[in-house]
Amino acid sequence: MSCDCHTDFPNIFLPREAEIVRADQVTASEKHFTLKMKDGKPMEYNPGQILEVSVHGFGEIPIGFASSPTRKNTFDIVIRTVGRVSTAINKLGKGDSLFVRGPLGTGFSLEKLRGHPILIVAGGIGLCPTRSLIQYVLDRRDEFKSFKLFFGSKSPKDQLFLDDLAQWRGSEHVEYLETVDKGEEGWKGNVGVITTLFAKTKIDPDTRVIVCGPPIMYKFVMRELDKLGIPHDNVYVDLERRMKCGLGKCGHCQMNDKYVCFDGPVFSFKDIEHLEEAFS
Amino acid sequence: MSKKVTVASFDFTSCEGCQIELTNMGEHVFMGLLNHIEFVEFREAMSEKADAYDIALVEGSYSREIDRERLLEIRRKAKIVIAMGACATCGGINALKNHQNDWAENVYGDKASMPHLASAKALPISAVIKVDYELPGCPMNKEELVKVVNDLVHGKAPLIPDHPVCVECKARETVCRFELGDHCMGMVSRAGCGAPCPAHGIPCEGCRGFVSHPNYAALEKVLVEKAGFSRERAANKAQMFTSNYLEKLR
Amino acid sequence: MKSHFISDSDFSKFVESLIRSVRVVAPVAKKTKFSFETLESVSDLRLDYDVTILPPKKAIMPVKQELVRFNGNSIESAISAQDQVLLGVHFYDVKAIDMLDELFSQGHKDYNWLAYRQHTTIIASNVQKVSNRAFFASVGQGVQAKGHDGFLTKVSGGYVFDAISPKAEALVKQGTFKDASPAQVTEAKVANEKVLKECPETLKHSTEAVQKKVREAFKKEELWKQFSDQCFSCGSCNIVCPTCYCFDVQDEWNLDGTSGKRCRTWDGCMLGEFAQVSLGGGHTENFREERHTRFRHRMMRKATYLNDKLNGPACVGCGRCSSSCVPDIADPVKIINKIMEA
Repeated sequence: MSCDCHTDFPNIFLPREAEIVRADQVTASEKHFTLKMKDGKPMEYNPGQILEVSVHGFGEIPIGFASSPTRKNTFDIVIRTVGRVSTAINKLGKGDSLFVRGPLGTGFSLEKLRGHPILIVAGGIGLCPTRSLIQYVLDRRDEFKSFKLFFGSKSPKDQLFLDDLAQWRGSEHVEYLETVDKGEEGWKGNVGVITTLFAKTKIDPDTRVIVCGPPIMYKFVMRELDKLGIPHDNVYVDLERRMKCGLGKCGHCQMNDKYVCFDGPVFSFKDIEHLEEAFS
Repeated sequence: MSKKVTVASFDFTSCEGCQIELTNMGEHVFMGLLNHIEFVEFREAMSEKADAYDIALVEGSYSREIDRERLLEIRRKAKIVIAMGACATCGGINALKNHQNDWAENVYGDKASMPHLASAKALPISAVIKVDYELPGCPMNKEELVKVVNDLVHGKAPLIPDHPVCVECKARETVCRFELGDHCMGMVSRAGCGAPCPAHGIPCEGCRGFVSHPNYAALEKVLVEKAGFSRERAANKAQMFTSNYLEKLR
Repeated sequence: MKSHFISDSDFSKFVESLIRSVRVVAPVAKKTKFSFETLESVSDLRLDYDVTILPPKKAIMPVKQELVRFNGNSIESAISAQDQVLLGVHFYDVKAIDMLDELFSQGHKDYNWLAYRQHTTIIASNVQKVSNRAFFASVGQGVQAKGHDGFLTKVSGGYVFDAISPKAEALVKQGTFKDASPAQVTEAKVANEKVLKECPETLKHSTEAVQKKVREAFKKEELWKQFSDQCFSCGSCNIVCPTCYCFDVQDEWNLDGTSGKRCRTWDGCMLGEFAQVSLGGGHTENFREERHTRFRHRMMRKATYLNDKLNGPACVGCGRCSSSCVPDIADPVKIINKIMEA
């Protein structure tokens, strides 16, 4: 009997195989992976976009790119061990395979950032998705005016990308300011919440600001930005929700009428500040 | 997965029906599972005893102080403890007696003083030992057990649903018991069974326990208003499998 | 479009022959209710049904659907669409399928819906009996059903069949159809108009007015708490809804330990876990933790959020949510009318 099944349809849920070319345990719960597509077709994405990463039998999770598309051939992701999938991913190492779908979602609108001073405010693991933009700005430094980066962590041992931080601390291409909520022995830097960094530098009102961190952070950072008179359409936020399909279909990440995985995760603050479910 | 996962099965206050379900899986499924696991202790099917195991499946409620040491020993020997079935996860039908004093006389008559009947409240085994995963149901759902063991063999934490049975009734298009003039507890009871009871004309009695946030006040209201229960009957409805939950709610 | 007529006895023969050539999904009796099932015999067919428990979308996207299959390090698509005829779909359910066609096509095209949809021929049929919670006459009046290939209307002695698409014209060749007489066409028209006057429930305001006022009611926390006081968060209203399409995605292994599948399963925004994420160490964050916030989200989705994408509300007035809700608090008509009058 002949089968009248039709199977030649594109399937947006079908992932591609990527090889782990580097894997570093960066904190007790976070692992930093560098991936390379097995089919040779490079991943072409914008800073701030996401991809779905999966392990067969465990499932998929959405993750922001942690490297800039200006770094060719490979890309980075950072996985924090929190659930079934991330636990499975963090057991993998160099030479193992991951499966990815993407790029997905809406990243940073680079044309709106070019030609302006840039301030990135990253809290905790919020440094991972913003690292794609940080690298981009550093790689195309002459496309932007001044570049400031604020990074806040719970404690020194929670800091991510230690090699990057060491480089940024002494760099003339970025004014890097960091703080920790709680210091520990040997820490000589700032102690205090991330907003305490605003008093330590002068910020041009024409600055384009990118904010990414835990939900509580947005309210306090916005208060500082309002004091500086920075218009809300010059502020971009990179949000977290329970994303599942990454395609704007399954409904889990919906925030009022927006799908964080599709309309975001990067939003202009002005576009979502009126949404009741955005920052509550 | 070169080395097989070792599994041991134990029973406490129960009918041993969950362990019987283990042997009821059907040859294909059971043999398939045996490619990955090895039973090292299982009173229903073998006489050997083991000193250590990866997974302990524990059936039955904790209702006698003398069972405490045996439970602690299982915990010491097992890497993962799974409470299996309604008795082990929520006290089960045994917990009916928690509200009565004269059950021994009523059931056993002049033999009520037999020493093994001396028992306290029927409680879930989590009252004594740390339980890693709970596999609820009376009996436990054998397909779910296969899935859970398969997950654990792969090192994946199993997912036990935390939504009400209504989801599964609707999914299989069972006509609602209330629609037929009957009552049901599916709205507050944990799904994962596939909702066989309402599909076969029996109300859900909540053998898998309550969901994390049951709206019990609303259940009492519909039992009175739609199913014609007295207020008292509605208030005590959840004593069959879920009396230990009810106690926590109050 | 051409109107045909087929007699009752010829219609039975036509359906019998159809069943032998293709999978036919149609309404059949289920205790006191009805459900869409694969039709095994024309004697099971109940075109006189009022409403089915689940909407016919299940024939296109089943409750649980395989998306991809894996084996070791290889992975393949599980899309495998077969031709089918969805027979006896009421116009409100056609409208709902139209909406899902639109939503699964916008942005990323989801062929796990669209492939099955493209291989489905929809033969709609007129509502012969109005269900006791229907309000299809007063919701989304500006939106017309358009995704069906043909439309059957019961008239005396048989059916008038409007063949809309070439697929329907091809079906006509398989049965003993005649041209419908002007009187039969009129009888069909009257039947379809009459049913719009028989809905037991009515929305009293326009789509636009409802969209605006319901959206503005978002912050009336007390009102939403009142509405949802008796809510079990059981998800019944979601699962039976023809326009709900949220899903969960989970992986599972086969017993061989190396192969398995990734499936999507219908999910509901009323369920407690819907917007919950794990933070690690057993901690979770739930973006809609309180019952009333989920209850509100459902109403917002039905009456406001998707309106711009669909040119109307994401509700077709089938009344399934109202009748499936045990405490009877899910009825959009009661909720919306109350908000409008507040």
